[in-house]
Amino acid sequence: MTININEKTADVIIVGAGIIGSASAYYLAQKGLSVIVLEGSKNIGDGGSSRNGGGVRQSGRDPRELPLVMWGIENLWPTLSEELGVDVEYTQKGNLRLGKTEAHLKTLKGLADRAIACGLDVRMIDGDEVRAINPYLSEEVIGASWCPTDGHANPLTATLGYYKKARELGVRFITGEKVVQIKKIKGQVRQIITENNVYESDKVLVAAGYQSRKILSTVGIDVPMEALKMSCLVTEAEPKMFDQMLGTAEADFYGHQSKHGSFVFGGSTGFEGMDKDNGRPISSSLGASCTCRGIMKYFPALSQAKIVRSWSGWIDRCADLVPVISPVEEVPGLYIACAFTGHGFGIAPAAAYNIAEMIADGKTTIDISALRYDRFKPKL
Amino acid sequence: MKRYDLIVIGAGPSGLSAAIEAAKRGLSVVVFDENEKPGGQLFKQIHKFFGSKAHKAKIRGFNIGEMLLKEADAAGVKVVLNATVTGMYLDKEILVRQENAMVHYKGDSIIIATGAAENTITFDGWTLPGVMGAGAAQTMMNVMGIQPGKKILMLGSGNVGLVVSYQLMQAGCEVVAVVDAAPKVGGYGVHAAKVARCGVPFYLSHTVIRADGNEMVEKVVIAEVDAHFKPIEGTEKAFDVDTICIAVGLSPMSQLLKMSGCEMEDNPKKGGQVPIIDDFGETSIPGVFASGDVSGIEEASSAMIEGKMSGICAAEYLGYCTEAEKESALARLEEDLDNLRQGMFAPKNRGQAIELTDEGIELSKSLLTKGYMEDADMERFPGVTHTKGVHPVIECTQNIPCNPCQDACPQKCIMVGDDITALPIIDEERACIDCGMCVASCSGQAIFLVDEDAGEGQATVTFPYEFLPLPEKGDIGIALNRKGEALCEAKIVKVKTSKAFDHTALVTMAVPQEQAMSARFYRKENN
Amino acid sequence: MEKVITSQGIVDRSKDIGPFVPEADDDRLICRCEEITKGEIRKAVHEGMYTVTEVRRYLRAGMGLCQGQTCGRFVKGIIASELGVSPAELEPATSRSPMRPVEMAVLGHEV
Repeated sequence: MTININEKTADVIIVGAGIIGSASAYYLAQKGLSVIVLEGSKNIGDGGSSRNGGGVRQSGRDPRELPLVMWGIENLWPTLSEELGVDVEYTQKGNLRLGKTEAHLKTLKGLADRAIACGLDVRMIDGDEVRAINPYLSEEVIGASWCPTDGHANPLTATLGYYKKARELGVRFITGEKVVQIKKIKGQVRQIITENNVYESDKVLVAAGYQSRKILSTVGIDVPMEALKMSCLVTEAEPKMFDQMLGTAEADFYGHQSKHGSFVFGGSTGFEGMDKDNGRPISSSLGASCTCRGIMKYFPALSQAKIVRSWSGWIDRCADLVPVISPVEEVPGLYIACAFTGHGFGIAPAAAYNIAEMIADGKTTIDISALRYDRFKPKL
Repeated sequence: MKRYDLIVIGAGPSGLSAAIEAAKRGLSVVVFDENEKPGGQLFKQIHKFFGSKAHKAKIRGFNIGEMLLKEADAAGVKVVLNATVTGMYLDKEILVRQENAMVHYKGDSIIIATGAAENTITFDGWTLPGVMGAGAAQTMMNVMGIQPGKKILMLGSGNVGLVVSYQLMQAGCEVVAVVDAAPKVGGYGVHAAKVARCGVPFYLSHTVIRADGNEMVEKVVIAEVDAHFKPIEGTEKAFDVDTICIAVGLSPMSQLLKMSGCEMEDNPKKGGQVPIIDDFGETSIPGVFASGDVSGIEEASSAMIEGKMSGICAAEYLGYCTEAEKESALARLEEDLDNLRQGMFAPKNRGQAIELTDEGIELSKSLLTKGYMEDADMERFPGVTHTKGVHPVIECTQNIPCNPCQDACPQKCIMVGDDITALPIIDEERACIDCGMCVASCSGQAIFLVDEDAGEGQATVTFPYEFLPLPEKGDIGIALNRKGEALCEAKIVKVKTSKAFDHTALVTMAVPQEQAMSARFYRKENN
Repeated sequence: MEKVITSQGIVDRSKDIGPFVPEADDDRLICRCEEITKGEIRKAVHEGMYTVTEVRRYLRAGMGLCQGQTCGRFVKGIIASELGVSPAELEPATSRSPMRPVEMAVLGHEV
């Protein structure tokens, strides 16, 4: 496919080159559409896509998004590395959500029951069973929810893998192009205006994480979400200990051991949403230490593992905690995929696949009508 | 959580100088350093510093470190060692690892003086054990008392490469060559001369092609490079070595500034990523300053002045001194700094092809390309005279800011003048009394006392000697020329040590008269 | 070769930067903590990784114990060379805490 690099139009223009934007571009290109992806920062995947903890999980999810993520784990994740020509390190060795108190177990069981109702293979197990699966866990763990088909992957290589493959298929990715306005022309979405240029298309997908809100407002659409700053950390390479994805009922920490041997963990201080920043997701002085304490409560074995780096990022937290993946009929040609509320990575391949269908074919493999942009109702 | 008026990160020359200035003006100051000893790079600098008295010239680096520490202590500065600042956050908060705990601190102002780290260079075999930074080798020798290796090739002819080469020899290692891809020696001519007269060959316009070895470095291959720094086929030379020291520059360790959101720039002239600062060190975050190498690679003397500037600015920022006081103090310091930034090696002259000294004398090309001066070069320079009896011969031939020789001579035989970059001149009207103070005070070891006719066809040459064991009176050995080549037989007629010489011994050898202006070093027979 | 990075900092990742041509020193180790070679970095650029951050995330160059202290300059220079730009035009990698590796038990022990 020859690409005219001076063209400012394409069949589809995507705002945001995170994993959602990049993967959607890939699946659209596979369908033969021309795509331009506009990314405001200097790097591909600089938002949540490169900052998350790498979980590919079904358990603990809202039923409205469960069919989508389950389909992705069934059909896309297992062969993704091969398909993209990049090792996304997909590991499907299960997910343990740990509890130390009866109250924890009650929470976990509630989540598990909801998921079982949607057909997910998840069940509650006791402390001994937990330690049979993962012998490194503390004696204080009294139980967990166990989902054998959950797992984890490498968000950095997965995002860049989708980008690489999409680029190979002729998708034009342009970084340093910050979108400031979307404009309707004669009743139809048409102009995508950046700080420096104007691009045009009849089909626009806004997949820009939290920044989607400001961009969408320029064309009269709102997604009720807030930016929550969260932090993660990573250790140096350690000898292989376990393959499962881990989390806790109290959300003290979550994480896994990567192929490289390093452990990637996230946690929370409780100040998320009120945490200061300087325009960039700058870490506070409290996060990493708090997460370490959370980890060691369950993992005394890791107390000597050295932390080499910590970072923060913004979660685009939706009002009802599940994403908006939707056409916007009142702005013909506009599509939204954002507000993944910090669990967009695992669902990304399935979401992107269906987004491409939504844009190109007008119908999707999985019913995502529960994720429409106009679903938000007040409490009364 | 403790909050200080001023937190200084880095207890090197810059950080300590900053802390002292602030503490003198009444601020509560704490200095954190990740090392177990304070003084930053000062403690491994065993050579005498250049500059003027105000710049602590002729004092050995580690002594300057000790002096600064005493001053800091006297001023009430708290210095916390083994304390790694792991992060700098909003609100001027830092997190410090102290032993097994993390401690939070906040400052009303912060000065980052974290210095720089060595650069490296890649070539085939660069990851073999035995390839190390010149600074690392220096720490091993001078701080830990360990020989980095036995046979060493030095890559890099800047001051670090030259000074460390000399120190390696002092530590008993053999330096097989000094190599640099540039066509000219990067550091001071006098540092090169010290190394060359020990017999170390210089290979300018050469680069390291590869290091060979099984489990460690065993051999290194260098080759000449063309004008585009590409190796020229057929010019390979191999040396058996167990160590390759790399002295290819430093990069500021500005990570803390970066993570806290200071505006940064990538400035090759300053050595890499540096914070954007005003003339006195304030970054884009009010109350956060940077001084010393972290704000731009220079040297310890400028680092100390910059530290003082930041310290005074922090004091004024917090209302501990008036703006007028600050302005007048800064004006004096600016002058000091300016005096240092003059001469052939000044930052403003970097990259310039300089052919003449300020006095209009043609520089020694041989010194620049081979590390030693030719006999014929010497006569051009005002420090070289031929008076009767013992007289100083000053082989200082480049304009660098330095004047301890002037203050050293009780007879006022030596003159540099107000502009301390001027070449030293000998006043032939004044009588030399052979006290040796000039020889010992020259940080470049470039001053000799020569009696061209000491009787019986002999001349005597007194030279500075900083190796062990010292020669002994009556020893017979070989006199070496500036290139380190054997010249003639030499008899040691005097070995003088004195507290005033600060560990520089003065050795006097008798050589045939015709060698008076060529014999400049000595080694025992059968060495 | 057209200018890959415009004066406004816009980078069209489809602009032709030429093919990947193997070079004699492609097997030279650049990031020794993670054992990444020059050839791997050069290839990554041709696969679309145009920034220091993208190369870091794609290959792990700069993610090891030294966090890019040793290899950072080289990685930047290699990317710049493949793109036909000056290293100064590329953004350097980010710096994050902890500045030195810290054991979990210590990092979690705030006093």
